[in-house]
Amino acid sequence: MKMSISLLINGETYQVNVPHKKTLLDVLREDLALTGTKKGCDSGECGACTVLMDGKPVNSCIVLAVDAVGKQITTIEGIGGITELDPIQEALVAHGAIQCGYCTPGIVMTAKALLDSNPHPTESQVREGITGNLCRCTGYVKIVEAIMDVSRR
Amino acid sequence: MSDINYWEPENLTDAVSILADRADQVRALAGGTDLLVKMKKGLTNWKGIVNLKGLTELKGFIYEGQTISIGALTQISALIDNPLLSLHFPALVDAARSLGTPQVRNLATVGGNLCNASPAADVALVLLMYEARLLIMGPNGSRQVSIQEFYVGPGQTVLQQGEILTAIEIDLPPLNSKGVFFKHGKRKSHEIALVNVAVLLTPHPGRKQIAQARIAVGSVASTQLRIKDAEDSLTNSLATLSAFEQAAELVKEAVNPIDDVRSTASYRKQMVGVLTRRALVEAWGEEL
Ligand SMILES: Cc1cc2nc3c(=O)[nH]c(=O)nc-3n(C[C@H](O)[C@H](O)[C@H](O)COP(=O)(O)OP(=O)(O)OC[C@H]3O[C@@H](n4cnc5c(N)ncnc54)[C@H](O)[C@@H]3O)c2cc1C
Ligand code: FES
Ligand code: FES
Repeated sequence: MKMSISLLINGETYQVNVPHKKTLLDVLREDLALTGTKKGCDSGECGACTVLMDGKPVNSCIVLAVDAVGKQITTIEGIGGITELDPIQEALVAHGAIQCGYCTPGIVMTAKALLDSNPHPTESQVREGITGNLCRCTGYVKIVEAIMDVSRR
Repeated sequence: MSDINYWEPENLTDAVSILADRADQVRALAGGTDLLVKMKKGLTNWKGIVNLKGLTELKGFIYEGQTISIGALTQISALIDNPLLSLHFPALVDAARSLGTPQVRNLATVGGNLCNASPAADVALVLLMYEARLLIMGPNGSRQVSIQEFYVGPGQTVLQQGEILTAIEIDLPPLNSKGVFFKHGKRKSHEIALVNVAVLLTPHPGRKQIAQARIAVGSVASTQLRIKDAEDSLTNSLATLSAFEQAAELVKEAVNPIDDVRSTASYRKQMVGVLTRRALVEAWGEEL
């Protein structure tokens, strides 16, 4: 059974016809070609699929698309592009906090929400803030340094 | 994968009647952090979801005299952000902080943590220690049960078909009492408890003797438990390390843990003793 819904993503309204069971993550990637949001574990563990819902980070792999109706969704595509990087993205690049990059969109979204609600976090608040974003490459030190760097600007 | 039915009722009455009519076929959806994970693993045989998101009256806090009522759909993250809870129910806030990840806490609800009835649930364990009353609405009207009576087994509660948990009420704990929540996992964060413990100690005036003790433990039996023998052993006794050690022994004797992917029964039994002793020492909060 499909349902026609409209989703508000990065300030734009998208009309899609989706099965009730389909997650927001799959609709973003498969129906809307917004593939910046990654699929890691598909079960709420890794944070690769992090998007903002009404400004708060959530795992889009455990949110039904139909449940996201009426919410403001922000994905990595709504944050910054190649020509105008968000300060968080700039800092991650500058600190060498990206290796394979698979976790990066999720990290950017989480860091964005963290700094929006708390512009000058302590290092332990940053570490606590990214506990839901697994990175298999960097060892987190550079990611934490990059976020701290942005918070000092 | 076949698709499912979906409802988004706008009020409690409609939600109850859809759930009651479809009996075993449908499940209520709150934050979905348990339900969707199970659905994706193919562990379910139900055919529809009743999304409770329209029931906005089940979200947030109501303060009345000595009681705080927490709406069942209140997010775990909202517990952390509530300064009154930090002041009066610090153990509840600690449990909320320990649950999952920031992303999960923004979705997961207090009611979901209870209704999922996992023996490892963190917020639910502290609510057991704070002696919560659970308000339930169903096809035959509303009823109230104490949290002690709520669990039937792992994943099973007294909720009947069509019943929805609407609110959780907790009374301010006794003056000068201190509540503590400890969780033991393999990692520091983002971990389901191998063992979790919530205790509350109330001193007699003069602070040498214990007036009242509450001890709740999780992940060591098919449901979360209050350990009455251990609590009674502390009532009116002097607060000494040996009294706390003896209470911890009684806890170990009362539990019945299992081996599973996360840990073994014998390790859990050992750790529930260690955690209980540490939590009691911390709750007493002075040199012993
Ligand atoms: C990555 C990850 C980490 C986690 N870590 C932890 C952890 O550390 N500690 C912990 O305790 N839990 C943890 N959980 C489990 C889960 O997040 C919690 O149990 C959460 O509180 C469930 O709430 P929910 O709103 O998401 O429930 P849902 O998934 O929406 O519902 C759970 C069950 O309860 C029923 N239900 C929900 N609300 C009601 C209601 N009001 N009335 C009647 N029935 C209802 C549903 O039908 C369903 O059967 C984790 C989950 C994930 C995915
Ligand atoms: S893909 Fe969603 S948390 Fe891993
Ligand atoms: S850079 Fe590879 S997972 Fe983080």
